[in-house]
Order: sequence, then structure tokens, then C-alpha cells
Amino acid sequence: MWNWKITATSAALVILVGLAAISFGPINLSFAKILKSLLGIHGGLSGQDRTVLIDLRLPRALLAALVGAALASSGAVYQSVFRNPLADPYLLGAASGAGLGATIAITNTHGDIYRLLPVFSFVGGTLAVLTSFFISGKFFAEPQSLLLSGIAVGSFATAIQTYLQQRHSASLRPVYSWILGELTVANWQIVTWSSFYILMAIGILFLVSKQLDGLMLSDEEAFSLGINPNRLRVIAVAAATLATATAVSASGLIGFVGIVVPHLVRGITHRVTNRNLLTVALTGAAFLMLADLGARTLLSPAELPIGVITAFVGAPFFLIVLRRRRTVQS
Amino acid sequence: MRIKSSLVLALALVAVSAPLATAVQHQPTRIVSLSPSATEDLFAIGAGKSVVAVDSLSNFPSTAPITKLDAFTPNVEAIAKYKPDLVILQSSATKATSVKAALEKLKIKVFFEVTPADISGAYAEINALGAVTGNTAKAAKVVATMKSAIAKTIAAGKRSAPIAIFHEVDNTLYSATSKTFIGRVYADFNTTNVADAADTADSYGYPQLTNEYLLKANPAVIFLGDGEPVSSVASRAGWNSISAVSGNHIVELPADIPSRWGPRLVNFYQFVSSTLVAIK
Repeated sequence: MWNWKITATSAALVILVGLAAISFGPINLSFAKILKSLLGIHGGLSGQDRTVLIDLRLPRALLAALVGAALASSGAVYQSVFRNPLADPYLLGAASGAGLGATIAITNTHGDIYRLLPVFSFVGGTLAVLTSFFISGKFFAEPQSLLLSGIAVGSFATAIQTYLQQRHSASLRPVYSWILGELTVANWQIVTWSSFYILMAIGILFLVSKQLDGLMLSDEEAFSLGINPNRLRVIAVAAATLATATAVSASGLIGFVGIVVPHLVRGITHRVTNRNLLTVALTGAAFLMLADLGARTLLSPAELPIGVITAFVGAPFFLIVLRRRRTVQS
Repeated sequence: MRIKSSLVLALALVAVSAPLATAVQHQPTRIVSLSPSATEDLFAIGAGKSVVAVDSLSNFPSTAPITKLDAFTPNVEAIAKYKPDLVILQSSATKATSVKAALEKLKIKVFFEVTPADISGAYAEINALGAVTGNTAKAAKVVATMKSAIAKTIAAGKRSAPIAIFHEVDNTLYSATSKTFIGRVYADFNTTNVADAADTADSYGYPQLTNEYLLKANPAVIFLGDGEPVSSVASRAGWNSISAVSGNHIVELPADIPSRWGPRLVNFYQFVSSTLVAIK
């Protein structure tokens, strides 16, 4: 059964964390004025303060929310499709492929293709997943084989990426900071295009989310419930990959969200169901906005890579949830 | 709604700032420098009084208002907090172009500093900073003084016969060729750089050498740019056969100076000159 209370709580959390995210920063802005500016009421911020809110903080918080929602819901879907609790959005080579694409864009010194970094990483990530599909061949017979080819394709892409990076030592820092994930210079343009793909992908995942639970059964049982497991898997993986590739190209490789958040939600609701997908997406959005708030403020004025925060906070949190689940089960 | 209000806002800003804009363009009064070299330049050309904040590595001159601002991963909002009217931003900073765009959105002028390839680029930067801060004459004077001091230093230290040198960038034997900014300084003294022959298209002037290569190249002087102690370099396996080691010509470069392209370049030239003069 869908637990609307938990979904409502996570939605409230998104709003709360979102407000916190746009309220804190090196420049002190009055909270009342921020609210007035957002609601379009007279007496809000003006001048540079308004630009700080509208053009710096707001797009960054929105991008964090989008990326968090994308990674968390794709993670949850991958875990169902592969019947593997350790599956994460980067499993099929999306991360390594995107990393290779980004490194090519950063290390290429001929012409200004650095601006095209998001395109390169998007194409790289999608190509890697397609290659994994193509190589595994018998995805429909045994989904696990796709996992293995995903790992192989990922390692291969990482090898090329590392080679390129070593050959162009000047690019080490930008490549490294991209790999750790960054939302530092989010702007409305990035928010606009990434929201288009991410919301579309998440929408598709919502539509099939009820049926995804059927994938936890055997394929025969799924058929008897009127589900075509093969078609469902392809749709789910394609949509999750679209969301992941978009998230990665907008913000680099932010780890751990795709594993932690789905398990966190399942740990709280005590059920392994995709009907919680909305909750998972909202929790992912809140989690990443909170992590980004930490990234911006903990070492201010320097920035902490957001990937460091998600792993540092995510890993212990994840272990606690895991431990609790075990005691509940036993 | 948003578009309409921002349009009104933009018009209001134009109206308010129009009389100020011309003044700001000529004479910035609140400068944030995110480049140690530019900081040294600004203070040398007399713009120091307008500098309100410098990045965490801008440790010279000591009067520079050092802050925790990070030059490599600039935080736009933290920079804006100082209410600058001019920001010196290195083009090599992370996502520099996006940072520049964000600052310009906040109506802050940005001086985009591209790392110079040689000393003429360093002079050009000093003059450009002079122009942007309204200190053109002083900047030209600083450049002229540097030029004559450096010419004098080269004349005093230049080798009559070439001598082989090795510049150590780090202890994994990365080096700098005569094509690099620092390599050109050594080359000015009629030295041969052992890294030159190891340069490839992919190393961008900073090839990684090997122990064997170095033994074979046998430099007469070793300049340590990585803070390695002389004793540990001398005791590296097999290195006692290198002339620089047996002749005791290993020198630690002073901190910061070799990696900056400001007025203290003169000090670096003088250091190299005095090192080379001491070798018979």
C-alpha cells in the first residue's frame, strides 16, 4: 500500500531543505525578503542581493534537487530491474562513459569544445550503456549478464579516461573536480535543459513503477500478472539511463545518492516496493540539496566537492539503516 | 511576472548606475585579486590601496588583505560579499568562464588573467592591469625598471659556454623545458636544459624524466622547485655520478618567486644568476 504520510513528509522536507538551501550563503540575505521575492510580493530583495538569490542560489538548489531526484529514482529502478540491492545508477557504465566524454572535452585543446562538456558526457554515458546492452546480448534471458558487461565496459572506459588524463597533466584538476561532482556554477540554462530530460524520465518511471514490483517475481509469475517483463525492463532501464546521463552531464559524478536514498526510504517504510518511487525521488532531492548546502558552507569560502559529502554522510547513514533492517527482519 | 520585475529592476539599475558607470570604468575602488601574481602587480603599480581582498595564496606583499578566498575553485557569492567593482580571475580556475559570467551578471567587472607564456606576457599583464586600474604610467615604469634590472642580471650571470641544467618540478622527476616560462629564464643564461630532448607533443613543456635519462644527461646544476631537501636528492640511488651532485651544485629555489610572473621575477633572475656565477 502506498504510504501517503511518508510521501507528504518527504515533500515537506524538500520544501524545508530547499528554503534552507537558498537562505544560507556567504552573503546574508533576510529570510523575510527572500520569501517576498519568491512570492513576487512587493518589498523583496533588490539589486545585487536579488541577483544572488535568483541567479546563483535558486538555480543551484533546483539543480541539486533535480539531480538528487534523478539519481535516487534511477537507483531504485535499477535495483528492481536487476534484482540486486547493490545496483546503482552508474552500474551499466554510465559514469565511466560520461567520465570519458568529459575528459575528452576537457583535454581537447583544439578549439573551444569545453563548453560542450555536458554534451560529451551525456553522449559518453549513453554510449557506454548501449555498448553494455549490445555486448551482453542475452539481456532478456539473464539480466545479470548485463551487469557484468556493464562492469567491463565501465573499466574499459575508465582505462582510456585515465590514460588521457595522464597524458594531459594540465587537465588533472578540472577532470578531478568534475569526477567528484560539482554544482558550483549552476545557471538557469543548465536547470532548464536538465529538468526537461530528468522530469520526462522520472515521469516514465512513475508510469511503470507499479508494474516494476512484478519484476521481483519470476518472469512466469510476472506474465501471469499481465506484465511483459522484457519490455518493462527495457523501458525502465532506458528511462533510468536518460535520467542518470542527464544528471551526470549537468553535475559530474555524484556518488552514493542512488544507493543510499532508495534503501533509506525502504528502510523507513519496511517495504521493497516501487510505489514509493515518488518518495524516493523527493527524498533524493532533499538529500542532495542538503549535501550541497554543506558543500557550500562547511569550508566557506572554499567549496567542498559534493561527492565527498554524499559519501561521508551517506555511507554511515546507509550502514545504520542496513543494521536496523536486519534487526527488524530477525 | 519574473521577467517583468527583472526588466523594471534592470531599468532601475541602469538609471542608478549610469552616472557611476563611467567613473567605475576608469578607476575601480574595490578590487578582489584571485591571483598571487596579479596581487604583486597591483601593489607594485600603486593600485594596492584599492585592493579589498586577495586569495589565500596571495602572501606578498605582506600588506595585501589576505582572505580565505580560493583562487582555483572560486566561490562567486563569497567574492561578491566583498562588493568588488573589479575581480582578477585566472583563466585556469575551475569553470572560469562560468564564474566570469556569474560575476558579470552581478555587475562586477572581471579581468581575465591568462597565464603568460613568457616574460613579454608578464609585462603585458602589468601594463593591462595599469590600464584597467588607471595606473598606466606607474605600470610602464615598473615594467621599464624590471627590464633594465633583468638585462643587467643576465649580463652578469650569462655563461660563456653552455652548461646543462635540470629543473625539478616534483620528486617524480617532472621537469620544465626551455619552452616554459620558467625554462626561458634558465635559457636566458646560455644554459642547456636536459628536459628539452624529452619533450613531446603531449607533455606541453613539462615532460616526466626517468632516473636513467637523467644520469645520461648529466646536468651540472639541479634547481629544486619542489621543496625537496638537497640532502635527500644527493642520496638518491645512483645520483652520485651526476656532476651536479658530485660538484655539490644542487640548489633549492626560493618559495613562490619562481612560480609568479610579477615584479619579483627580477629576484628570480638574480637567484639563478648568482647560482650560475658560483659555478666555475
